[in-house]
Amino acid sequence: MAPALNLAAGGIPLSFSSSVDRSASFPRRSSVRAVAAEAVDTQRPAASLYEVLRVERDASPTEIKSAYRSLAKLYHPDAAVQRSPETDGDGDFIQLRNAYETLSDPSARAMYDRTLAAAHGGRHRRFSTSLSRNHSSAFYTTRRWETDQCW
Amino acid sequence: MVEPAYTVTSDSETTGEEKSSTFPEIAIGIDIGTSQCSVAVWNGSQVELLKNTRNQKIMKSYVTFKDNIPSGGVSSQLSHEDEMLSGATIFNMKRLIGRVDTDPVVHACKNLPFLVQTLDIGVRPFIAALVNNMWRSTTPEEVLAIFLVELRAMAEAQLKRRIRNVVLTVPVSFSRFQLTRIERACAMAGLHVLRLMPEPTAVALLYGQQQQQTSHENMGSGTEKIALIFSMGAGYCDVAVTATAGGVSQIKALAGSTIGGEDLLQNMMHHLLPNSENLFKNHGVKEIKQMGLLRVATQDAIRQLSSQTIVQVDVDLGDGLKICKAVNREEFEEVNRKVFEKCESLIIQCLQDAKVEVEEVNDVIIVGGCSYIPRVKNLVTNVCKGKELYKGMNPLEAAVCGAAVEGAIASGVNDPFGNLDLLTIQATPLAIGIRADGNKFVPVIPRDTTMPARKELVFTTTHDNQTEALILVYEGEGEKAEENHLLGYFKIMGIPAAPKGVPEINVCMDIDAANVLRVLAGVVMPGSRQPAIPVMEVRMPTVDDGHGWCAEALNRTYGATLDLVTLQKKA
Repeated sequence: MAPALNLAAGGIPLSFSSSVDRSASFPRRSSVRAVAAEAVDTQRPAASLYEVLRVERDASPTEIKSAYRSLAKLYHPDAAVQRSPETDGDGDFIQLRNAYETLSDPSARAMYDRTLAAAHGGRHRRFSTSLSRNHSSAFYTTRRWETDQCW
Repeated sequence: MVEPAYTVTSDSETTGEEKSSTFPEIAIGIDIGTSQCSVAVWNGSQVELLKNTRNQKIMKSYVTFKDNIPSGGVSSQLSHEDEMLSGATIFNMKRLIGRVDTDPVVHACKNLPFLVQTLDIGVRPFIAALVNNMWRSTTPEEVLAIFLVELRAMAEAQLKRRIRNVVLTVPVSFSRFQLTRIERACAMAGLHVLRLMPEPTAVALLYGQQQQQTSHENMGSGTEKIALIFSMGAGYCDVAVTATAGGVSQIKALAGSTIGGEDLLQNMMHHLLPNSENLFKNHGVKEIKQMGLLRVATQDAIRQLSSQTIVQVDVDLGDGLKICKAVNREEFEEVNRKVFEKCESLIIQCLQDAKVEVEEVNDVIIVGGCSYIPRVKNLVTNVCKGKELYKGMNPLEAAVCGAAVEGAIASGVNDPFGNLDLLTIQATPLAIGIRADGNKFVPVIPRDTTMPARKELVFTTTHDNQTEALILVYEGEGEKAEENHLLGYFKIMGIPAAPKGVPEINVCMDIDAANVLRVLAGVVMPGSRQPAIPVMEVRMPTVDDGHGWCAEALNRTYGATLDLVTLQKKA
């Protein structure tokens, strides 16, 4: 099993890279990481939505909106500022946008606050396996982005 | 048959002064409208519109094939306006590109002097120009490419450097298939498309820049401003609602439709000569001339009605056919009532999608050639409760200026004065999904989703031991699958045999910032952590010409044998 996985992980990025049709003068990271390869990647621990937006738990709607705009200028692939090599071209902005959408909707934010207070690592996921998420184990010993999203 | 004398693809060396390789090559902005076009570029401190050899900033969008050598409206000048309507000239190419022959828009183009033929089976229409008494076939992509070659030559002559990268404006209602046709025409012309920008999004970017500059001058705190942008040209009507603060413009909603000045013109022509369709359907030389005369007279009348309330139409079509009629503005508005009502509904829909009340709108921006029509101004003003229109933009230049700004930003230009410290966060104009749950269109990425976007849904099999699934990807807003544009298809094979409803088929759709759509699909069995088969990743659209026919053929061949249904999330 392990050798097959390694082959799959090794092969997909190559085939994927060749399909990226971008001029060399505009270097960009691949915007879509192959799902199978991503499945075996070690993913860094995900923050709560408040940490994604870098705001306090009691931030006002204006502060949330302002934070979203400031961070969008850093993480949106179209932003003019130079991006760091570690930045995923699209994924970081997608996370940012998802966090903003939840926290800018008062009812969604209230629900999220309740689940955040109640969340703990041992809960089992109830939703189907996600193609674009890391699911290295059936149980979570630490809080993760997808855990925050689902509960 | 003489070989074409023109060269579509050019690899000529850079002329003029050498440019240091450390500087980015700034992309130019191009706005090819259905009837007019313009080119602009960021010149280091502001946007500059380029002019052709006749000192024109705005040029007509056409290509004429007389004299066997095609030439476009950039460099050539037709001796009479009638010559545009002689059958040798192709125009309205933006309306024809990427459409199938069952499209009502294509059928409306049959009333034009050049030849448009349809078989009504879902393939591309046949298009030809009358050259030396012969109908010579062409395609909208070829016509557009010829036009772009001239635009490129004009820009290179003016800027004295090689032009390769462009940002083009496109209508909101363009499907992804149509976008690929535009990109193909650009490739034929030797141009690389950095971005295809919906027209109101380009205007939103320009608006964002203006707000940013105002904020700098006033030392303002960058309060958020909401703008309604209404754009109506000869071929398309687009609406956007944008929220702008601190140089960041978030597109909250987009709406678009294929209605424009051309529809107003056709309706008026039909009003003046009710039997015109039957009269002109043979496309003989005499009929073409009559068609052209009627078109010119009607166009003049509509223009005059923007500044007068009544106009006299006098035209002799020959063969004893004369039109002598006084037309007033109310008549024009009544004949086109459905067009104006559609415009109004687009604005209302866009505001609703954006979840914005009319009272929250700070600025109302009208751009496009039809913005000069009093009825258009009135309907926008009425929907916006009498709010005064924004005056900071030239209606004919706003979109191309926005495209030029985007070209500079996408090219990585760094402006020390902060004029390019801008970001436009775009939204998807149309929903994208797959066929499932019988014959339904199930959106995976809904309309107005912020881009880049990545969303997924889980589906499952409909038959016991079903080992294959056909993924049909559609784009549009209809509830049934075939009401939308078929973008592509692929099969998932090797699904483990299991009772129906057990396998979990995950369909993920990803749109990157360059608006490239990829569809990923994988199969996971319950309780397993790894995909049961290798994940498939397909870049869309995959369907080339004939996508109307293709959808019908797929349905006839496969029926419901490889269908999927949406998997209900477990409690």
